Amino acid sequence: MLFRQLRTSRLAMPLAALLALALVATACGNDDDDGSGESEAKGSLTIGAFNFTESAVLSEIYAGALREDGYTVTIRPNLGSREVVSPALERGELDLYIGYAATDLEHYNNNAGEATPDARATADKLRSRLGSRGLTALEPSPAVDQNAFAVTKATADRLRLRRLSDLAPVAGQLSLGGPPECPTRPFCAAGLESKYGIRFREFKAVGLGAVANNALERGDVDVTLVLSTDGGARARGFVLLEDDRQLQNADNIIPVMRAPAATDEVRTILNRVSAALTTEELAELNRRVDDDKEDADVVAREWLSENGFGD
Amino acid sequence: MSFWSGVWDWFTSASSWEGNAGAIHRLGEHVAMSGASVLVAAAIALPLGIWLGHTGRGGTIAINASNVGRAIPSFAILVIAAQLWGIGWKPAFIALVSLAVPPMVTNAYVGLREVDADVRESARGMGMTGAQSLWRVELPVALPVVLAGVRTAAVQVVATATLAALVAWGGLGRFIVDGTAQRDFVQVFAGAVLVAALAIVTELALAGLQRLIVPAPLRRRDKERDKPFTGLAADPQPG
Amino acid sequence: MRWDWVTTHLDDIGSATREHVVFTVVATLIGLAISFPLALAARRWRWLATPVLSTTGILYTIPSLALFGLLTPWTGLSRTTAIIGLVTYTLLILIRNIVTGLDGVAPEVREAATAMGFGPLRRLLRIELPLAAPVIVAGVRIAVVTTIGLVTVTAYIGQGGLGRLILDGLTRDFRTPLVVGSVLSVALAVLADVGLAALQRRLTPWGDHGVRATQADHGVRATQAGG
Repeated sequence: MLFRQLRTSRLAMPLAALLALALVATACGNDDDDGSGESEAKGSLTIGAFNFTESAVLSEIYAGALREDGYTVTIRPNLGSREVVSPALERGELDLYIGYAATDLEHYNNNAGEATPDARATADKLRSRLGSRGLTALEPSPAVDQNAFAVTKATADRLRLRRLSDLAPVAGQLSLGGPPECPTRPFCAAGLESKYGIRFREFKAVGLGAVANNALERGDVDVTLVLSTDGGARARGFVLLEDDRQLQNADNIIPVMRAPAATDEVRTILNRVSAALTTEELAELNRRVDDDKEDADVVAREWLSENGFGD
Repeated sequence: MSFWSGVWDWFTSASSWEGNAGAIHRLGEHVAMSGASVLVAAAIALPLGIWLGHTGRGGTIAINASNVGRAIPSFAILVIAAQLWGIGWKPAFIALVSLAVPPMVTNAYVGLREVDADVRESARGMGMTGAQSLWRVELPVALPVVLAGVRTAAVQVVATATLAALVAWGGLGRFIVDGTAQRDFVQVFAGAVLVAALAIVTELALAGLQRLIVPAPLRRRDKERDKPFTGLAADPQPG
Repeated sequence: MRWDWVTTHLDDIGSATREHVVFTVVATLIGLAISFPLALAARRWRWLATPVLSTTGILYTIPSLALFGLLTPWTGLSRTTAIIGLVTYTLLILIRNIVTGLDGVAPEVREAATAMGFGPLRRLLRIELPLAAPVIVAGVRIAVVTTIGLVTVTAYIGQGGLGRLILDGLTRDFRTPLVVGSVLSVALAVLADVGLAALQRRLTPWGDHGVRATQADHGVRATQAGG
């Protein structure tokens, strides 16, 4: 009797239900790939963003300009460090990311120390390093975002810190905060040690941006990496230590692309954006996203229309 | 240099093990954090679960605790805790304790409830008070199930403590998070091996401890692979 | 909480939720498709049980962050990477429950079926699987709820479903998306759990075995459903 009650239908039903659910779900999932809008699509491009605010803002700005001209653009947000994003570019998962000339050069040349304060020369070297990988870099923007090291006003006063070289004698008592890739980066902890002889008591991987700034404010770390365009750090009155021995180089904003994706038209659009960007504006956009919790795409659209890109 | 020889070099070179960022220090942090979280969680969960089980109250809550616990992603608890209490050991500790409490409550409750009514009654019949019956009869009988909950929670805590590296705490997760950010997969792999090994050692050590404290006649055939995941019980969870 | 953020981001929230569901369903289905043959093989050839269960057991102890990270050199920051990782964690749960579920079918029942002239395949489909269904569905239930939690971690390889909102909240120190992502992820898990629990009960029309499956030592008795 039991057997009769339990025909295969008992098992077939749940399996069918699961399958139906999967079909519905994947069917829904598919319209994700269509992208949004732009009927006169010319081609589609994927931009990868690093895991900090400015990268989201920049990606939205460049993406917005491309979309104005009829391209379909997908942004992959918060992917991680350059060490994560650049292999994805080489694998062809991404078509471009918005990089920083000096840091990118030292990434692709394995820290050969070729970057200089000259944006054009640094960008040229970067381009020549990228060629063999099937990648290229466009024109550098006048907007610069360098790594900087911040302390609170109180710490600066207590230890009389003004320049990075002031840190060397006291660093042994202090902790440094930054993203997890900082210890091996030439413009971060590794460079502080080789150029300034600064060795911190410890390094804490607090990331970059809002979380790191909070950590500095709370005293969880004594010094933290900030971006020179971090509007939030400025608003909190942190002291950015002067780079008196020129550790930082020409970290001008520069799109790094897969060469086949860099058609003349795409280059023209992206170079026009780069030329219009300024450091100050970028800092303010970052602050609005970080502190006022505005959306990166909203502030990007505003900037685009103020600067004559579309409506 | 191939990946595997890189792994070999990592494990055989002293610099991987020594210092504040070395594996020994990280392992110590991981063990200390996991141990402290499990102890604190046990101090909260076991009395609660045992009391509920003994009195038969709050059954629905106790039974479903582990299930609801499983539904909450540890990653989310960790990030919320980090926003509330800042980075460092605090959010990790809070997240891990809240991860370990539910399975222990469930198992303690179910263990006590499972004690045969006849056994309970004969304890009373022998003139024992409620407390005596609990301490001398019910708890020893329930012990295997109660301890299974502790074991599951501990293994889960060891695996999940890895995520704490995302909110700037140390432990073995550092190798995984830093290795990923630096594209050093040897480091990632080494970290994963150490965490997995620690989880397995924890499992074995607690199973051994269980064998020591559970009186021989109460030991059950305890072959892990014969057990299904049951849904309401404390099954292990990946970290 | 900034409710205005919620109301202006319903699209994002919707697509993140949908992605979360898709990942969970696809990973569970693939997990089942892999687990069934492996579990049946492990029952047919008993010597296979130990390697199958210990391999999946070891895979189960790999921290999820590391597993996803280690897959990226091969499969990139892609959905494939996320799915491979998620499927990996379902295997131990599903295989163990399929094997124990089938083992729990009383020998007398099996013999009776054989005596009635059922061949091995028909016996499996018509008798053993239906009787084992509650334990198998219990496994699916755990696998689904576990997967829903793990999907959030795939935000670190550029996927993540609702985990994307959690990661955005972490990066910008912005509580609203963080809370929305967490709450919805928990809601999905509870919903899936309740739904599959109901299914489990429907598949257990005989007596109180559904209750037995609650025993906390995941005891052998729970597998005797249908005895």
